[in-house]
Amino acid sequence: MSGPARAPFRNPGWAGNVGEFDLSEADVRGTDFVGERPLDGGHPSVAPSYPYMLPGKDPGAVLFEGPYRERFEKIRSRYPTARGALLPTLNLAQELRGHISPETMDEVAALLGLPMAEVRGTVTFYTMYNKRPVGRFLIQVCTNISCSLCKGEEVLNAFLRHTGTELGETSRDGDFTVIEVECLAACGFPVAVQINSRYYENVLPDDVPALLQRLREHGE
Amino acid sequence: MSTVTLTIDGRQVTVPEGTSLLHAAQEIGVEVPHYCYHPALSAPAQCRLCLVDVEGAPKPMPSCVTQAQDGQVVRTDDGLAREMRKGVLEFYLINHPLDCPICDQSGECKLQDYVHSEGRAHGRGIEPKRVFGRDDFGGDVLFYGDRCVMCTRCVRFMEEMAQDPVLTVVERGDRAVIDTFFEQGLRDSPYAGNIVDICPVGALVSKDFLHKARAWDLDHTPSVCPNCSQGCNIDIHTRDNVVHRLKPRENPEVNGHWMCDYGRGRYEWMNRGDRIEEPFVRGDGGWSAPGWHAALASLRERLEACRGPVRAVAAAHASNEDLAALRELMDRLGGGDIVYRSPRAPDEVPLPGFPVLTRRRDLAPNTRGAELLGLRRVGSDDATGGLEEVAAGAGALIALADELADQPEDFGSRAELFVYLGAHPAPAARSAHFVLPVTTFAEQEGTFTSVQTRVQRFEPALRAAGHAQPAWQVLGSLAASLAGRPAPASASEVFDRLAAGVPEYEGLSYDRIGARGTAVDRPAALAGER
Repeated sequence: MSGPARAPFRNPGWAGNVGEFDLSEADVRGTDFVGERPLDGGHPSVAPSYPYMLPGKDPGAVLFEGPYRERFEKIRSRYPTARGALLPTLNLAQELRGHISPETMDEVAALLGLPMAEVRGTVTFYTMYNKRPVGRFLIQVCTNISCSLCKGEEVLNAFLRHTGTELGETSRDGDFTVIEVECLAACGFPVAVQINSRYYENVLPDDVPALLQRLREHGE
Repeated sequence: MSTVTLTIDGRQVTVPEGTSLLHAAQEIGVEVPHYCYHPALSAPAQCRLCLVDVEGAPKPMPSCVTQAQDGQVVRTDDGLAREMRKGVLEFYLINHPLDCPICDQSGECKLQDYVHSEGRAHGRGIEPKRVFGRDDFGGDVLFYGDRCVMCTRCVRFMEEMAQDPVLTVVERGDRAVIDTFFEQGLRDSPYAGNIVDICPVGALVSKDFLHKARAWDLDHTPSVCPNCSQGCNIDIHTRDNVVHRLKPRENPEVNGHWMCDYGRGRYEWMNRGDRIEEPFVRGDGGWSAPGWHAALASLRERLEACRGPVRAVAAAHASNEDLAALRELMDRLGGGDIVYRSPRAPDEVPLPGFPVLTRRRDLAPNTRGAELLGLRRVGSDDATGGLEEVAAGAGALIALADELADQPEDFGSRAELFVYLGAHPAPAARSAHFVLPVTTFAEQEGTFTSVQTRVQRFEPALRAAGHAQPAWQVLGSLAASLAGRPAPASASEVFDRLAAGVPEYEGLSYDRIGARGTAVDRPAALAGER
């Protein structure tokens, strides 16, 4: 590819990182949002909104105990109805277990006193709940308009090729699940890729091997 | 109550304030097509089919939730409203399989009706349709996902009426489908059959009725459910003299739009083939079938000659007219005791969202009517036993409508004269001197008195088997001939005589009872019942 030389790959790419500025993630997001998040959710007002999809997943984790029980209680206290607390509770369950299995739906329904069918309807309505187990890294490649114009499909195929998986499947080593998503709301920085809870932007097909290598070695 | 006056399709209509446009249109006979709206359920306004053009409104309004306003000008049938429905219907057909030739709903399907009346004549879709296949929801309910129009009436019925929210919408977009919690199914919800009735298309169908008959071949006869004393208003659907299904008929004071699965599923006995079709007389030389005229003449002689007490055993499945004719005959013969047996369930099963509708403990339709005629209940809760006293005495013994299935062959052998009036042969009938074929409730006109002391009419849905006659006709003509009167010509006439004799029925007639029945004004008794 001709043209000016591109800056070396310097993802993780928080929003706005086009490789032209020497800013850290903390500079952009503010120090409050960077670093360790408390497992108990911190202040109740923000407990429902903490990021999820962490690499550490235990499909057999108990719903909920220890700090997670505290976080659940905080979440429940912030909503007037059990129905309202359903989405953040499911987020929490997915953070722990990595996906929402039928058994998890059943347990969440019992926890909140909701009909099981309603929990199933909610989980299946929202695409960000994984209905099946996913790898340590869930790679979501945008192929909507902006990203598609900037070779989104090629980026997707590069991820599939370099992880050796099929679309929606998990690689043999259990590390990677690659899926195609609709708009990630980062149309200014195509191709946008979300890996677990972090955005990687301006990704080109050629960036993929280095990105995967970095994930294997250093995590996110 | 204040009213509003508006114009719908160029016609003025005045309705109470708060009436929806859809109801206001119904007032003047304009039916606005709709799927998700059902009068007994909440209105989510999501099917987008009842949109109408309201003058001054920026966009079409869903008529099921838009309240009528004074001076509004509404058009349901002009260019915009029609064009819009045409467009919405085309969307509905994107994934619809159009399998009407093998669909049970065909002929009573709202999608079929609407598309036929105002949809596009030709489909424009070239994409393949998504396919779901079938899902067994358990009970009597089978789900064809491809036919579904996502009106969610069934979801809302289970949530609001059955109050057992086992149904939900799973997934989204064109993958959206009605389902329960994985393989859980409807969990034998006792009112689940109603979701088949309210499904506007063929997505939810009855397994019992599956591929049995086409909707347009069925005759609908207004009747009353014979399976408990609630007396749900029903339509009996028959084809070629065979009952194929029972459907609820709306009656806001008894069953709303609903009926229970217990009642809905018990109709096969009306189709029983083992029927008594001729009057039989047992003489010295064995059984003979002399025909009605000779049999009744000889029975009348025997009854007149018979001395001693008269006793009768009846069933609470018999109509008021049958029981009244029996009572009159007994009185004519010098009076006597009538007992009845009826099955009784251990508990009641109410519909939580409409608790007036309850599957009652008494599993016979006319126990209240029998009580009002002074009949005495005997036997156990499964309608067996309790007849020792009746069978013991000499004199005349009459059995009406009770099959006596639990009784031995020599049941009536101690009676001087044993008359068995029934629809089905039974061992006990072998000891009878007269076996007279009578019709079942499905083959005759009459009334039942429900647990609410509500008198309700039913009409004949089937032809009588063989030479069977209604019991009121047989017993009524006997009583009349003993009294030297002309025989009753109709059930209505028998009821009129009954109404004159029983204080609770005073002033009632078939005309006054009407199609939906009349509650007998006995507030004290009703209060005690609840």
